Amino acid sequence: MASSSSVVSSYSSSSSDKGSGRILQFDPFQSLVDEGFWHRLSSLKLDSLGLDQSPIPLTGTPLLPSFFSLAFSVCFYAPCSHPKVSNRLTLLAESLPSDFKELQFSLERAHGNRNRCPVPGTLYNMNTFESFKALDRDSLLKKEAKKILDDIHSAKVEEDSAVLSRFFIISFADLKKWNFLHWLAFPALVVGPPAVVLNLRPAREVFNQGEAQSLSAALNEWRNSSLTTGVLYFLVSIASNSRATIRQLKDWKACQDDGQKLLFGFYDPSCRLDNPGWPLRNYLAFISLRCQDGKIQFLCYREKRGFADMGLSLVGEAVISPSKDCRDPQCVPKAVGWEPKPKSINLAESMNPERLAVSAADLNLKLMRWRTLPSLDLGTLSSVRCLLLGAGTLGCQVARMLMAWGVRKITLLDSGLVAMSNPVRQSLYTLDDCLDGGSLKAVAAARTLKRIFPAVEAEGVTLSIPMPGHPVPTNEISRVLEDCERLRDLIASHDVTFLLTDTRESRWLPALLCASENKIAITAALGFDSYLVMRHGAGPLYESDQANSLSTVDGNGGQRLGCYFCGDVVAPIDSTSNRTLDQQCTVTRPGLAPIASALAVELLVGLLHHPNGIHAPGEIANSIMSSSEQPFGILPHQIRGLLPQYSQMTLIGHASNSCTACSTTVVSEFRRRGMEFILQAIDHPTYLEDLTGLTELIESANSFKLDWVDETDDADI
Amino acid sequence: MQSETSARQWDGTLSPNDFNSSVAALCERWKEVNDSLPQWLWVPFPVVGDSSCNAAGYLTMENVYHQNASEEVSHEESILGDEELSDDATLVQSCGKDDMHVYDYHIVYSFNFRVPVLYFRGYRLDGCPLKLEDIEKDLPAYSLKGLRESKWTFMTQEDHPYLRRPWYTLHPCGTSDWMKVLFGSNAANNQPRPLHYLSAWLSVVGQAVGLRIPLGLYKSQ
Ligand SMILES: [Zn+2]
Repeated sequence: MASSSSVVSSYSSSSSDKGSGRILQFDPFQSLVDEGFWHRLSSLKLDSLGLDQSPIPLTGTPLLPSFFSLAFSVCFYAPCSHPKVSNRLTLLAESLPSDFKELQFSLERAHGNRNRCPVPGTLYNMNTFESFKALDRDSLLKKEAKKILDDIHSAKVEEDSAVLSRFFIISFADLKKWNFLHWLAFPALVVGPPAVVLNLRPAREVFNQGEAQSLSAALNEWRNSSLTTGVLYFLVSIASNSRATIRQLKDWKACQDDGQKLLFGFYDPSCRLDNPGWPLRNYLAFISLRCQDGKIQFLCYREKRGFADMGLSLVGEAVISPSKDCRDPQCVPKAVGWEPKPKSINLAESMNPERLAVSAADLNLKLMRWRTLPSLDLGTLSSVRCLLLGAGTLGCQVARMLMAWGVRKITLLDSGLVAMSNPVRQSLYTLDDCLDGGSLKAVAAARTLKRIFPAVEAEGVTLSIPMPGHPVPTNEISRVLEDCERLRDLIASHDVTFLLTDTRESRWLPALLCASENKIAITAALGFDSYLVMRHGAGPLYESDQANSLSTVDGNGGQRLGCYFCGDVVAPIDSTSNRTLDQQCTVTRPGLAPIASALAVELLVGLLHHPNGIHAPGEIANSIMSSSEQPFGILPHQIRGLLPQYSQMTLIGHASNSCTACSTTVVSEFRRRGMEFILQAIDHPTYLEDLTGLTELIESANSFKLDWVDETDDADI
Repeated sequence: MQSETSARQWDGTLSPNDFNSSVAALCERWKEVNDSLPQWLWVPFPVVGDSSCNAAGYLTMENVYHQNASEEVSHEESILGDEELSDDATLVQSCGKDDMHVYDYHIVYSFNFRVPVLYFRGYRLDGCPLKLEDIEKDLPAYSLKGLRESKWTFMTQEDHPYLRRPWYTLHPCGTSDWMKVLFGSNAANNQPRPLHYLSAWLSVVGQAVGLRIPLGLYKSQ
């Protein structure tokens, strides 16, 4: 057994210790405001308090800026538990109520959490930077300090000692920039001349072994009980047999009288071995005003890995003497306690919904790449520029699928207005877009895309695509020419063009322009219960050096893949004017457009990942080049599906020398004569057929029976 | 211990009840073997009207400090000017230790995947959250290598299921697969004890996020 001498004699005699006889200096509280606190404050401000408006003048002080204060916020701290880092007084989301019921709930949950001992506080949130700056911080500090003094005099401290650590925070929340300026204060009463420290040493050096063991056990028990773990200030009494007991503050009188050694203990957030932490300041004020003045002993309680640590905990002895003024309950005490400077924190990263949407969408794709598609090229997808011709059922759906794949640059082109029948089938419109005559489809669709995903670069272009067989009145010629050139520029400035219009002839000019520019073109067309999705082959004038000059040969030496018009024996003429009304309606089974759109986008993604790009040869299901070689599977040329049979097939069709859109003859003629050629094709129904020799072909074909059915006609209905 | 799945081949998952008992076991064991990290603490999130759901909540270990060597902390001019509001009894500190990073780790049970999921976040002492790039700088080389090359671990940012704020997480979709691998053939028909499960799981995810798990956790349980 170690020395049986009493605690008093074991340390009051050693007056030569470091720090003795000097002014006791306290290690100030440090705050940490968790981002959750600002999240909660923001939603309070926006939802409940609705103070996001101009300042509200208060009666009698018309120029006073508006603010709100919350007297029921709490912050949390625990004893220091790290030898080098002081524990911070922390404000969390739970510090603020979302409503009063919620406050009860969060306080109950905090109750009993050994790492979150609640301390009451007040929030003063200012609505402008100017009002934040203009705050009279000195009088605010005095006002809050006065509350503490009142609680000392009224004996409230003895019931709920946490009020001794009362804090407050002033803030200016700039919700537009997610910037939070704040400044905390931990008011410390100055009730007399500074305390003089006689002695301050690690508890292990002060107590004998039995006392240290008994005290550690008692403190661990105190901390592990949900009833006492949140009690920041307490009494330690040590009997002559070295047995230590922890008692509530309200028992101080009994403790003083029982003749045992009495220490005033508190949870010390500081890790410093030469100084006690800030909570001791108001504790000493309380002790001197309520319990005793003169010489007192205190315990700075600290932990390591969650257990009482007698090496980090300090035992000190100080002399305190309150001034007479402060014994008067009416006195307004001097106070200190502002943190050295305000802090500013920006939370755009975690609060700006647009940034969150982007990172969530990106992470989703990255996860797919990580799990199953290591070759997935997200950079290519996010930079590819897509032009969607037609913003109807197909256009809307293709745009959505593109966004899902991480495509960020989408231009929609359409000349129509949103009609009442559209929203149920065309997924980018709602009833609102139909009102007042209807919005422009291209504009409304682009607007919706941005609402779905703000980071998308979506643009709407209102333009009608000139079509062969639709003669142009003289007074409209210049407008049509302008449209043609605009379309050419759009196709040239995009990487991919989707042909998604609902008539066959409206696809002709874009098909020709894509062939001329050697741009990726993807067509999706719907019949009543069948669909066609295909990618056009490369343009006829882009051949690599080893290829011969035949327009049907691809740049890589293989046969060039065909376009939408390659299988035709008739030129695209006016398919709408000579039909009956119900044939003009694009009646299809509603499930077709989503199926075909999804296939069109998957086809593009496969193409973009193919090493040969637009020159990639067509593959068909079950061919030797099976899905095992390419991570995305085969890369077909055409996909045709029949809903009644729930069947789908992949086909290859090679480019035709007499194609009205992609043959060398047509593309060269367009290159040579430009818009004049286009106008002629539009005005004269048989011009294209004559040019490509189709007229001749039709005549000869009449003597044979073609062994394939042209499905493309119903694909347009 | 032996759950309803033991008859068939074990699929690498953990039932909510087993998660619960493993959490309690881990907390106890941790107190005995841990020599440097804070304690784990269970924070329940009672589901209103469902008392059976004991696995709702999270196991938390907070305030893990990381001394950040590289970072230069800017001490910008205060917008309002610093004021001397302290007195003789206030210890005036030099600004040090501001470059410390603090990490919080939460273990949450995923009812969809039936596995534990690690959520974590880091922040500076001013409360400013760390970005993924910052976190990666704090990770030891073996963790980075694992994250880049391993098929087991993938770091993403998702809403914390209880706090409803974005936290970083290791995606759980591969967990049951690698847990099966981890226990090898022994486990084919025999589900590991819950504490074994959680310890083994923690050793893998801890490595991925640079958390040093005490060796004693696996010894002689
Ligand atoms: Zn063609």
